[in-house]
Amino acid sequence: MDYPLWIPGIGAGVLIGLVAITHVLVSHFAVGGGIVMAVAETLAVKRQDQALRNLAKRTSLILILVSTVFGAISGVGIWVTIGLLHPVATSALIHSYVWGWATEWVFFILEVATALAYYATWDKVRPRTHLLLIWLYAFAAFMSLVIIQGIISFMLTPGNWLQTKAFADGFFNPTYVPGLVLRTGICVFLAGAYMAFAALREQDLAARARLVRFLAGIQVVGILIAYGGYRWWEAALPESIRALFLGASPKLPALASTRHFLLWMLLAYLVFVLFALLAPKAQRWPITAVALVLAFAFFGGYERLREGARKPFIIRDYMFSNGILISEIAKLNQEGILSKAKWLMVGQPDDPVAKGRAVFRAQCAMCHTENGYLGIRKLISGADAETLDMILTTMRDEGEKYTSNQYRKNGHVATEKLDYPFMPPFVGTEEEKEALKAYLVTLTGTKVAEVSHGN
Amino acid sequence: MATNLIPALDPAPIPGPVWLFHLLWVVTFLLHMLFVNVVLGGSILAALAGNGRRELQSFFVNANSWAISFAITFGIAPLLFVQVLYGRFFYTATILVAGAWLGMLGFLMVGYYLNYVAKFRLQKGQSAGLAVPLSALCFLIIAATQVMVNLLHLQPSRWEGVWTQAKSALADPTFVPRFLHFLLAALAMAGALAAYVAVRRSKTQGQTAELAEMARFGVKAALYTTVVQLLVGFWLLLALPSPVLSGLMKGGAATTLPLGLGILAGIGLLVVLAGIRDPLAEGTKVRRAMEFLVGAIVLMIITRHQLREVYLAEWKPLEGAQVAPQWGIFLVFLVTFVIGVALTVYAMVKAATDKPQAGEPAA
Repeated sequence: MDYPLWIPGIGAGVLIGLVAITHVLVSHFAVGGGIVMAVAETLAVKRQDQALRNLAKRTSLILILVSTVFGAISGVGIWVTIGLLHPVATSALIHSYVWGWATEWVFFILEVATALAYYATWDKVRPRTHLLLIWLYAFAAFMSLVIIQGIISFMLTPGNWLQTKAFADGFFNPTYVPGLVLRTGICVFLAGAYMAFAALREQDLAARARLVRFLAGIQVVGILIAYGGYRWWEAALPESIRALFLGASPKLPALASTRHFLLWMLLAYLVFVLFALLAPKAQRWPITAVALVLAFAFFGGYERLREGARKPFIIRDYMFSNGILISEIAKLNQEGILSKAKWLMVGQPDDPVAKGRAVFRAQCAMCHTENGYLGIRKLISGADAETLDMILTTMRDEGEKYTSNQYRKNGHVATEKLDYPFMPPFVGTEEEKEALKAYLVTLTGTKVAEVSHGN
Repeated sequence: MATNLIPALDPAPIPGPVWLFHLLWVVTFLLHMLFVNVVLGGSILAALAGNGRRELQSFFVNANSWAISFAITFGIAPLLFVQVLYGRFFYTATILVAGAWLGMLGFLMVGYYLNYVAKFRLQKGQSAGLAVPLSALCFLIIAATQVMVNLLHLQPSRWEGVWTQAKSALADPTFVPRFLHFLLAALAMAGALAAYVAVRRSKTQGQTAELAEMARFGVKAALYTTVVQLLVGFWLLLALPSPVLSGLMKGGAATTLPLGLGILAGIGLLVVLAGIRDPLAEGTKVRRAMEFLVGAIVLMIITRHQLREVYLAEWKPLEGAQVAPQWGIFLVFLVTFVIGVALTVYAMVKAATDKPQAGEPAA
C-alpha cells in the first residue's frame, strides 16, 4: 500500500497465476522425479534391468533442463512477481519466515549440485555413487517441499499464529500435514505421468510394456496418496472455509464447481492409468498425453480451490489481498486509505475523479483491471450512482464485521456469511468513498445490466 | 523528494539481530558473486574466443552449465536477507522499474538455455554459432538491470523522478562506471580462472598447444581488464555523490581499510599478471593471481555493503525497527547449513573420484 503500484496489463492475479502455475507444475515434477528415478535406478541395478536404467537416464536430462533451469528461474520468478505486486505481503512473510526459506535454500544447493552431478556421471562412476547422488537429490528436493508447504499452507490456515505470531504455530498449521501428503501424491503421479513419455521411447516392446506398467503402478500409488491427502486437507479446514466450496452459499458457485471438477478429473486420470496398468502394450503417446492433461487438471483445480478459498485474504484472517490488515480497518476509516497509499497521488490532479482512481488502485486494482480480467467497467456497466453508493456502503459496513466478534471465532472470520465473501471490505473516509464513486461513475456505460459480484 | 514516499517500516519485528543479517548477506552475496563473475565474464570470453579457441570456449560453456545454476541458487540467500534489512527500499526500486526487473527472468532463462544449446552443439563437434554471444548478451543485460536497481534502492531522492519518467532510472552519474567496474571484475576473474584451469589440465594432459593458448588468452584478458579497472575504479570513486564519498572516507579504518586493501589487491594482481610470460610454466604465479583476485572481490563486496549504509544513512533505514530473534528456527537453519554443505561436498567429491576400475561396472 505504501508502495508505488505496478499492475501489468493482463492484471496482477493473472500474472501471478501464470508464473505460479508454470512453476508448480515443474517443481512438483522435480520433487517426484527424484523419488521415481531413485526407485527406478535402484531396481535397475538390483535386477540388472537395462531398460529401467535407460528410463532413468533419459529422464535425468529432462530433469536438469526442466528443474535446474526452468524450475529454479520460475521459483525466483515467484519471488520477483510477488515482490512487485504484493510488497507488503512479501515483507510480512519474509519477517516471519526468513529462516524457513534460508533452510530451504540449503536444500536447493544440495538439490542443484546432485542433479547436475547425477546427469554428468552416467557411465563414469560406480553404481553405488550414482545411486547416492539420486537419493540425495530426492531427499533434498522433498525437503524443499516439506519447508515451502509450511509457508503456503500458513497463508490459508494460519491457525494459532494469529494469536501467538510464533514461527512454529504458523508453520505447523492445521493444513500443513494433510497438504504435504496431498502434494507428495501429486509429485509422485506427475513424475510417473511425465516419465511415461520417456518410457514410450524404449524400442524393445516387451521392455516398453514393463516400463509402462511400472510407471502406471507409480501413478496409482500417487493418485491414492493425493486423494487421501485431499480428503484429509478438506477435513482439516475450518468449517467456514470448507463451506466456501461445499456449496453452502448460492453466492459461491464457482468454487463448488471447481471442487467437483478436480475430483472428477482425478477419477478420469485414474481410469487412464488403470488402462495403462492392465494393457501396457496398447499404450501410445496420445493416451499418455491425455493422462498428463488430466493430472494437470486435478492439480490446477486444487491450486485454484486453495487460492479461491483464501479470498479475500492473502494471509487468511490477517491481511487482505490488497495488503490491508484487518487490524488497520478502523484506523484507515478514520485517516483515509490515501494516507497510507502515498504514491498513488504523485503527479495526479487534486480532483475527486483522480482521487477516486487512486482509491480504486489502492484497494481494488490487485484483483480488478479496468477493462481486462475481472474488468470493473464490465462488472458495473449500467449501474447508477445510487446503486454504486449502496454497494460501497455495504462493503464499508462489512469492515466492522471483520473487526467485531459477530463473525469471528478464535481469530477466524466466517466470510461465507458476508454479502461480499470474496472481496475485502471498503476502507477509507466518507470523502474517499464519494471519490471512488465519482470515478466508478465515469466507467459505467448506458447499458442496463445487473451488477455482478461473483468471483 | 518528500521523505514520506519511503514506505513505512514493516511492523513485524526483525527475526534475528541486525548484525547477523549483515554478516549473512556479505557471506552469501560473496558466494553468489563468485559464480556470477564466472557466468558473466566466462560467457563474454567464450564469445570473444570464437571457434578458434575451442578449448577455452568449451571450458566456459561447460562450466556455465553448472555456474549459472549455482549463481541463481546462491543468489536466493542474499535476496532473502536484503529484504529483511532494506525491504522497503528494495521493493520500491524494483517496482519503479518493474518491467525490466521482471524481464530479467526472461533473459536469464534464454541465456541459460542458449548455453545448453552451445554445449550440445560443441559436444557434437559442431560450432556453437550465435548461441554463445547471444547468451553473453542476455547476462550483460541482467547485469545492467541489477546495477540500475541497486543504485535506485540506495537513493530515495531519485524515486519520484523515475516514477514520473522511467527513462531516468539510468540517469545516474555512477551507473556507467559502476557497471564497468562490475563487468571488468567479472572478465578478470574469468580470465584468471581459464588460465588456472589450463595450468591444472596441463599437469594431467601435458602441455598442448590448445592449453597454452587457453592460458595465454586468460592471462591477457585478466591483465588488460585489470589495467582498465584501476582507472574505472577511481572514476567510480570520484563519481560518487560527495556526501557519500566523504561518508565513506570518514568511516575510519572500518571503511577505508577494506577499500584500501582492495585497491592494493588490485595493484598486486596487476603486478603478478604483468610478470607472467609463459603461464603453463608459471603455475604458481597464475595461482597467486587467482588469490589476489578473490581477495580483491571479498574486500570490494565489504566496501559495496558499507557504501549502501553510507548512501542510506540519511534515511535511517532501520530506525524504530524491533528485533525479536527466532533462535529455535535459526538453529535449525544453522544445523541444516552445516550438514547440507558437508553432504554437498561429500557427494561432489565422490562423484569426481569414485571411478570404476577396469572390468568393474559403471552406473
